[in-house]
Amino acid sequence: MVTDRIKKIAHYVILFLILGIMAFPLLWMFRVSLMPTGSLQSFVELWQGSYTLKNYSDLFTTSSMGRYLFNSSFVALIVTTGNVLFCFMVAYALARYRTIANKILFVTVIIVLMIPAHILIVPLYVLMLKAKMYDTYWALILPWLVNPIGIFLLKQYIENVPSTMEDAARVDGAGEYRIIMTIVMPLCKPALAVVAIQIFFTNWNLFLFPFILTSSESLRTLPVALAHFQGQQAIDWQHLMAGSAIAVIPVLIIFIILQKRIVSGITAGAIKQ
Amino acid sequence: MRSNRLTTLVLLLPWIITFVVFWLFPLLFSLITGFTDYSLISRNPAEWIGLENYKELLTDQDFIISIKNTFIFVFGTVPITTVIALIMAVLVNQRFKGRGIFRAGYFLPSITSMVVISLIFTNLYSRGGYIAGLASMLGFTPPEHGFLYDSSTALFSIMAMDIWMSVGYYMLIFLSGLKSIPSELYEAARIQGAGNIRQFFLITLPLLKPVALFILVINTIKSFQVFVEIFVMTQGKFETASMVYFIYETGVTTAFRFGYASAAAYILFAIIGIFSLTQFILMRRRHPLW
Repeated sequence: MVTDRIKKIAHYVILFLILGIMAFPLLWMFRVSLMPTGSLQSFVELWQGSYTLKNYSDLFTTSSMGRYLFNSSFVALIVTTGNVLFCFMVAYALARYRTIANKILFVTVIIVLMIPAHILIVPLYVLMLKAKMYDTYWALILPWLVNPIGIFLLKQYIENVPSTMEDAARVDGAGEYRIIMTIVMPLCKPALAVVAIQIFFTNWNLFLFPFILTSSESLRTLPVALAHFQGQQAIDWQHLMAGSAIAVIPVLIIFIILQKRIVSGITAGAIKQ
Repeated sequence: MRSNRLTTLVLLLPWIITFVVFWLFPLLFSLITGFTDYSLISRNPAEWIGLENYKELLTDQDFIISIKNTFIFVFGTVPITTVIALIMAVLVNQRFKGRGIFRAGYFLPSITSMVVISLIFTNLYSRGGYIAGLASMLGFTPPEHGFLYDSSTALFSIMAMDIWMSVGYYMLIFLSGLKSIPSELYEAARIQGAGNIRQFFLITLPLLKPVALFILVINTIKSFQVFVEIFVMTQGKFETASMVYFIYETGVTTAFRFGYASAAAYILFAIIGIFSLTQFILMRRRHPLW
């Protein structure tokens, strides 16, 4: 009995230790973002220093933080909406019409899932230049509108949805698009939510391509703006961490609200691959 | 039947367009460009130069160092990440109070922006920063100019951060693998007197092999493309430049050598291809069901 208790305590000690290590850097970011400018980022300051929200308000008044926040939200929302709609359309066709051509098309989805996207730096840059889309919102949106992971997850899901209701509607003379949008789509809500969350997070945090495919300040998303901030000598850690916190808070809120769904989505996607 | 075919085509069109315009075309374009001297700033039209780019790459010291750094990064992080993720998964798999909070807390770094994480750690690693303080408290002497401004510590510091960031994600994947192991197996083992540790090595580990190999494949593909943290934390200095950093630097900054960078990208593509293919073959051989 005593050894059981010791084991239990040891288990919790290890768990809390890991939690401390995992949570500390993010807590540190919030703490520094609330320190007055000019204070040291030391262990003592961490506990005894004062708190201020001035760094946050500074960012909105002296930099284009509002604009960056808008860009990130705008692009992520459009890309997420696009993915939910387009991936669903494609996944439905691949799941329900099983022709040879469709099977080949599904292989292309799998292949693209495996391709390391970063090797496309040069060709995408050239493509956007030639298409006159370099440094426009198009460059931030168009390449990411149909993500193969969304097609993959939704196809798996639709295949497990019985087609009896669709067949009944077809007998009643309903058109194909109506069936897909009014009957199948509502049935797939859980999977669509998983796809939406994953795509939103991915796009919200995307850095490399938004960074190389735009150059104007007015088109910077939060990660791009933060990376540019860091290159400037004028900015201090307090403001930099406040900007970082602004980029993290939306993700944090969504994560806290939808935690269960996010976790189940990640594991569902992983196991089926 | 005709209208049905049209419907299918309409439904599939978003992927067909995306695939052709943003994947197939760029892939072929950079394959061909890799054999030319195409660049943004040269006045002459691009010329076919055969294998010249590849030959030059193999003697380009910067490129060779970037390959070396990338391999150090991949082989230094992937195995450690996998082992730690497995240990964490086993720790949070048991039933206990507050399990959800621990899982969520461990996973949180994985959904945080890489730029933000890199900025936080740039601060933590800086001269006189938190980690330097911690190191001297433990009796080590931290590098004089901070961990990221020293060739002997910069890359390893970035690797440590990367492990910290990604263990939570792979822990979740391991957890889903752990859930699929039937509990009767453990019961049977317990009846026969096998302790926790023996159960782990006799049941858990062998049955998790497919999940572990899956994690190895996706983490290897991801890690070979390391870029953001290096860009933000060291700008490729202090022997940290990765292959993607090299591609970025030669391809879309100052010289804009599209052909040269494309050839480098294809070498990276080939390396990743070889590694994931080998891992796939290993997986199939051991697990006919996969």
